[in-house]
Amino acid sequence: MDMFEIISPLSVLLCFLGVFMGIIFGSIPGMTATMAIALFLPITYTLDLVDSIALLIGLYVGGISGGLVPAILLNIPGTPSSLTTTFDGYPMTQKGEGEKALKVGITASIIGGFFSLIILYFFAPVLASVAIKFSSVEKFLIIVFALTVIASISKGSLLGGIFSGFIGVYLSLIGMFADNNQMRLIPPGFEEELVYGFSLLPVLIGLFAIAQILQESETGMKASPHQNFDFKKDKKNRFTFKVFNGQLINTVRSSIIGTFIGMLPGVGGSAASISSYSQAKNFSKHPEKLGTGEPEGLIASESANNGLIGGALIPLLSLGIPGDSTTAVLVGAFLLQGIQVGPLFIPTNPDLWDGIIYALIMANIIMFFLMFFSIKYMAKIIYIPKYIIYPIIIVMCVVGSYAINNGVMFDVWTLLLFGLAGYVFMKIGIQVAPFLIGFILGGQLEKYFIDSLKGSGGDLTIFFTKGPIALGLWLLIAVSIIYAIVDNRRTKKSTAI
Amino acid sequence: MRLQIRMGENKMKNSLIIFLIVILMLSLTACGDKASGSNDEGEVDVSRIRLVIGSTSTGGDTYQNADTISRYLEDNLKTNIKVDAVGAVRAFQELGKARNDGSTIMFFHDMSYLGVEYGSIQENNKLENWTIGPIVSVNPGNAFLAKGGAPYDTMAESAEWLKQNPDETITVAIESGGVSEITFNGYYLWVKEKYGTKVSDRIKAYVTGSQEDKNQALWDGNADIINGSIGGNSEYVKDGVDDEIKMKFLGITAGERVEGYEIPTFAEQGIKVDGKEFVFDKEFFFLMPKDVDQDFASKLNNAVAKIQENPEYAEDLAKNSYKTKYIPADKAEEYLLEKRETFQKIIKKAPSLDNITN
Repeated sequence: MDMFEIISPLSVLLCFLGVFMGIIFGSIPGMTATMAIALFLPITYTLDLVDSIALLIGLYVGGISGGLVPAILLNIPGTPSSLTTTFDGYPMTQKGEGEKALKVGITASIIGGFFSLIILYFFAPVLASVAIKFSSVEKFLIIVFALTVIASISKGSLLGGIFSGFIGVYLSLIGMFADNNQMRLIPPGFEEELVYGFSLLPVLIGLFAIAQILQESETGMKASPHQNFDFKKDKKNRFTFKVFNGQLINTVRSSIIGTFIGMLPGVGGSAASISSYSQAKNFSKHPEKLGTGEPEGLIASESANNGLIGGALIPLLSLGIPGDSTTAVLVGAFLLQGIQVGPLFIPTNPDLWDGIIYALIMANIIMFFLMFFSIKYMAKIIYIPKYIIYPIIIVMCVVGSYAINNGVMFDVWTLLLFGLAGYVFMKIGIQVAPFLIGFILGGQLEKYFIDSLKGSGGDLTIFFTKGPIALGLWLLIAVSIIYAIVDNRRTKKSTAI
Repeated sequence: MRLQIRMGENKMKNSLIIFLIVILMLSLTACGDKASGSNDEGEVDVSRIRLVIGSTSTGGDTYQNADTISRYLEDNLKTNIKVDAVGAVRAFQELGKARNDGSTIMFFHDMSYLGVEYGSIQENNKLENWTIGPIVSVNPGNAFLAKGGAPYDTMAESAEWLKQNPDETITVAIESGGVSEITFNGYYLWVKEKYGTKVSDRIKAYVTGSQEDKNQALWDGNADIINGSIGGNSEYVKDGVDDEIKMKFLGITAGERVEGYEIPTFAEQGIKVDGKEFVFDKEFFFLMPKDVDQDFASKLNNAVAKIQENPEYAEDLAKNSYKTKYIPADKAEEYLLEKRETFQKIIKKAPSLDNITN
């Protein structure tokens, strides 16, 4: 059906509103696309289905994309999937290339978004049947694969990085073990607060934002060198599309990884951006430069985390299985309208399917223009003196943490606790990024490991005998680890020279 | 010239003051209306109610039932209601801290007491510690499913098949600590009573989380039967679905069949525990703080009673195969405590999942 027969002016307006609000949610540390959609869900009941989908898709695209703003400008990942955006984004800001970094990130985001949209439109049913072939064994191996990034990003000490990752995994296991409802690793007296463990977002922003503020208060909040740059005069630091020269393979590979991991139900967006960053580093001509402010790393992270949007919609629309927590909320929108998503959704709802595709196209375009042309204003955040911006950041972090689980005060304590922990980590040499990657992926690592063993009756050989996909993943894991070790030695040698 | 500007400024100031006074008056009038309106029959004193639900999902039946009833309640109680999907443990925590004016109340289903029995919800959250509100709706769709090509078509046939094939086992994917486990227990105990331990010992549990996990367990071959629901799984049983993911319903646990679906109930299949037909209807109800304001509780109860008579409410619920069911607050407590007692007996007899998991 023709686009204009499905999409009304109201749909366009709602999509614009969705993207705008989504960007705001994504930009505020602690607020996510999932929260934005959940908040707007009740009002969709009064809207026509295509209009409500346009609004929600707008929120989804905006929410995922907005995460890059605090990641690049403030070194605070706005969403878990923008963790790897901080690795090169913030160093670029420190070099006075904040505006350029934002534009690189946004361009990579729209490329990733459109790439996954094309995959979604043409290959959804085929890929969905591939996705269900990924049992808990393969999903476990994908998580292990994502964890191999710890070896690549460990700064200074490989062993130290792995140790930090282990602590992250350990802490992620605190809470009730759902299989038998047993509490574990919970300090006495905290059974009620920690029944679901520590919430991810307060941990994430505590470790980044609060720890950083504490560290800077040690020396006094003087202006950083990067705050003295004047972007307008510095032509060298201006963004041009030439940045993407030689980045075609990186962009496509990261978009593929994002789309592919996004379509595996339960694996999630963090694993997508982490894996693609890891691969960008492994295949880079200058791996030692990644993490120091290279657009290459930023492109990998951002094209992957927008690539996962189309990816996560593949199992949702082809099988009725949400690919991530955000698409799980979208199911609610369909159900409120009395529509069941399932394997026959696309053939039985062709107009709605077209509406979703049009909404995605619109949302990506709106996101690009809205962000690209407002960047010069956003980038000015870094000129604000730290004694003004830091209290604002703390307030935003507290509000975000309080809101993430609909008003749980313990999440605010978690934020402050992990802020303090992050400060101590820096002092004693525990690496924050590997710790966080362990913490983000730890729960899934355990779940899929146990599910695999339950399915095989406790037989550990299942991880090697499950089939060719599992063997292929083992190969990728081995290559990734070997490469990281070789790279680590090479870096050590060059530092010694 | 300067004088003119100053006069202009004064005019602006005056206009601003008048504008502010008008706004203030309008606000006071609105507040006055609200205050005097609080005497209206049915209107509650709280301007905003936070309805915490025992699920973190906004796609599940708890959210949908909560959302539907709250939309109708808003009109009847003349207030705003915000549904917060915080999960069972946090919902009880919030209810424990709530004021008694009705500004925070909870909406959940039978898991609120089954969870306590199974240990997934702390003992201090047992029904006796809350004021039980009216029962408002029912999801009759709790079901069990198998792959489309499974050698049995009902739960009863699956037990018979197990008896005929002594080398085979049946693994059932369930979620622990709630509706899924109690209905699995019903099936397990019936097989044990009817066919003996030789057959029931070959029934295994595959304990997992969400509905997606259970579906995946079926497709992976890690489970032969899964717990599911009509709302969540009916799309997979339709003609035209690929054989690889095709499912079929083996039975529902509700007391009556669901209109539009040819799925036999457990009772029809002869599934009994202790000689009584096994029936489990998943019912949704309100929970409030123990010392909740009686005026609020009674207005909520009256509003729910009124909503039940509205055919649009039933139509909204029917979109996802839910049904209206009204048991007033004063009878709901007795009803739920009796229901809990019935299932306590089953839980006592049921095997621990640790012993029947692979």
